[in-house]
Amino acid sequence: MIALEEGFDVPATPRTVWAVLSDPRQVVPCVPGAQLGDQQADGSFDTTVGVKFGPTRVTFRTRVALELEDATMHGRMTAQGRDALGGARVQASATFDVEEVPGQPGAHVAITGQVDISGRLASLIESGASAVVRRMSAEFATALAERCAAGTARQQ
Amino acid sequence: MKVYEALARAFAAEGTRRVFGMMGDGNMHWMQALDDVGVDLVEVRHEGAGLGMADGWARASHTPGVATATCGPGVTQLGTALVTAARAESPLVAFVGESPTADEEYNQRYDQARFAEACETAFVRVLSPETAEDAVRKAFYIARTEFRPVMLSAAMDLQQKAMPEGEEPYVPSTSLITTDPMAPNQAALLRAVEIIAASRKPVIVAGRGAVWADAREAVLRLGERLGALLATSLMAKTWLAGEPYHAGISGFYGTRAAIELFEEADCVIGVGASLNRYTTEQGYIFPNARYVQLDTKPHLLMGGGRVADCYVQGDARLAVEALTQLLGDRGAASPGYRTPEVQAKLANQFADPTPFTIEPGALDPRDVCRALDEVLPATIDLVSGSGASAGFAVMLMNRPRSLYLAGHFFGCIGQMLPAAMGAVSCTGRPAVLLDGDASILMHLAEIETAVRQRLPLLIVVLNDQALGSEYHKMVSTHMRAELATITTPNIGAVAVAFGGRGCLARTVDEVRSAAQEWLASPGPMVIDARISRAVPTIPYRRLHYGKDE
Repeated sequence: MIALEEGFDVPATPRTVWAVLSDPRQVVPCVPGAQLGDQQADGSFDTTVGVKFGPTRVTFRTRVALELEDATMHGRMTAQGRDALGGARVQASATFDVEEVPGQPGAHVAITGQVDISGRLASLIESGASAVVRRMSAEFATALAERCAAGTARQQ
Repeated sequence: MKVYEALARAFAAEGTRRVFGMMGDGNMHWMQALDDVGVDLVEVRHEGAGLGMADGWARASHTPGVATATCGPGVTQLGTALVTAARAESPLVAFVGESPTADEEYNQRYDQARFAEACETAFVRVLSPETAEDAVRKAFYIARTEFRPVMLSAAMDLQQKAMPEGEEPYVPSTSLITTDPMAPNQAALLRAVEIIAASRKPVIVAGRGAVWADAREAVLRLGERLGALLATSLMAKTWLAGEPYHAGISGFYGTRAAIELFEEADCVIGVGASLNRYTTEQGYIFPNARYVQLDTKPHLLMGGGRVADCYVQGDARLAVEALTQLLGDRGAASPGYRTPEVQAKLANQFADPTPFTIEPGALDPRDVCRALDEVLPATIDLVSGSGASAGFAVMLMNRPRSLYLAGHFFGCIGQMLPAAMGAVSCTGRPAVLLDGDASILMHLAEIETAVRQRLPLLIVVLNDQALGSEYHKMVSTHMRAELATITTPNIGAVAVAFGGRGCLARTVDEVRSAAQEWLASPGPMVIDARISRAVPTIPYRRLHYGKDE
């Protein structure tokens, strides 16, 4: 199991950030290597995520569900799927909160969760997987901040 | 004639030139009889090491190596080496004594048949003087046809019985076996051609089967026709080195450039390669490819229980030549991978420029390998061990060499010093072994055997004074890595005490000049190269830190 614990500030209003985080079309492109697929009848949606473990790229196909509490800007994401070759299963869950930063105009995003990778792939990635996930979540934070800032700029 | 004499003569008639092992009262009569008929006896300091030497002999020649041990405790010493030889598919026969048939309370009594079975080793027992020669023939037959170790067990009292009078000359197992290369099935070839002709980015992965079938020219011609990228399994590492579009090893030891190119592959042609989980990285190294696999086995499962899209049973050379012919008839030719861009990408693929801070008085292990690869010409054979040290030797010793032997078969350390000694004993050619300190110290006493045998073997100890694999894994997972460190003596000085040559090296110049000195007069010699623990191998950087290197 790989723990996710990410907190970062975004130079945009909490509502702007929440709008991005709660919209699959906007948030999925912030995940490095991810592409949005079809939306399902139950509101969940498909994604593919290409992850590089060392030079070897593994493509995961996952179904993602979002539960959103708009009033409190609290969300919960669950994702499960397998890789394109079928040798690994991935399960991920995370909660995310958007908060005001006291005394400042920006927003703070807190993400807590975990990722589980099992199956044949596990022997290939060992402890390097947590480093990869850490790098991806840092890149996600950067991409999200840029997208929110760009959105804010357009609104102005 | 006594049974032990008949057994010895039968071994000689099977082509046995040299036997590695330790004498005990279960095999001493047989050994004396071997000496009488001109077979060399190599006395070793541990029975398992003797078996490892027979394994090295078998791997170097693809013909049976022969080892020996006495009964009971001599047999149990063979364990790890037997499993390693079984995994390496090495043909070898281990002659072992067995406690007297009628003595239930003999202190060396042991169920050797069950031990052999647990060591993945075939077991043949000498049952009577009348069938003694049949037992030898059967043991060698199994070794030669199934490519596995065979334990031939003969009770001490039975060995002393008289052979029947007026026997015919011994008929060796070689006269029972046809060795014509196996022609591939035409229908299977046509299915393979369909897959290959439809591909635009084919990769050829050659393994030991291609080496044994002498398929080099055939593989190069097929590669040219298809514009294929050329790769090998670890086991055939240096076999295609120096050829254009040689991408090195497919798998854990692949270079970054190669792995990025493999991702584009739409067809993998395995030639005498098992395409196991290590060669294909569980399939992930070729995510977009269909597989054609050519091998002599009836069928093969690749890594992860998958099968090739088309399996062709047959001799590697004949199958590759037939494929090239059929593809030529169809006029199939494509540039494939063979572009200046790919050539440029592969040009410096083996460089490892990542800087690490090396403490004073220690060597960067990569510099040791680079210096050795530069100083030692292609005529010097190469053997690498397992564990952390292998990652340096495998990724940085890239000169083409006529023989390369890798460790890894049972994932154990300590097996490649004996294997290197057996290989050198077989070929008579000088070789260099790069292995770790824990590995060499495990069978340190065999350096004395190497000295006694005057083997032209340079042993380079990549000495990090640690169990390197465990050390690096513990560092990456924040365990107390110092628990994996163990100080060592100057192993070069130990070799000198044994009567060989040796030195301690703390600078690249010391490594270089010692290697040059050895090259001028190859004999048993140890370079104890004190390497830093600060440098993880490229595979470890990927595995433990997720680095894209």
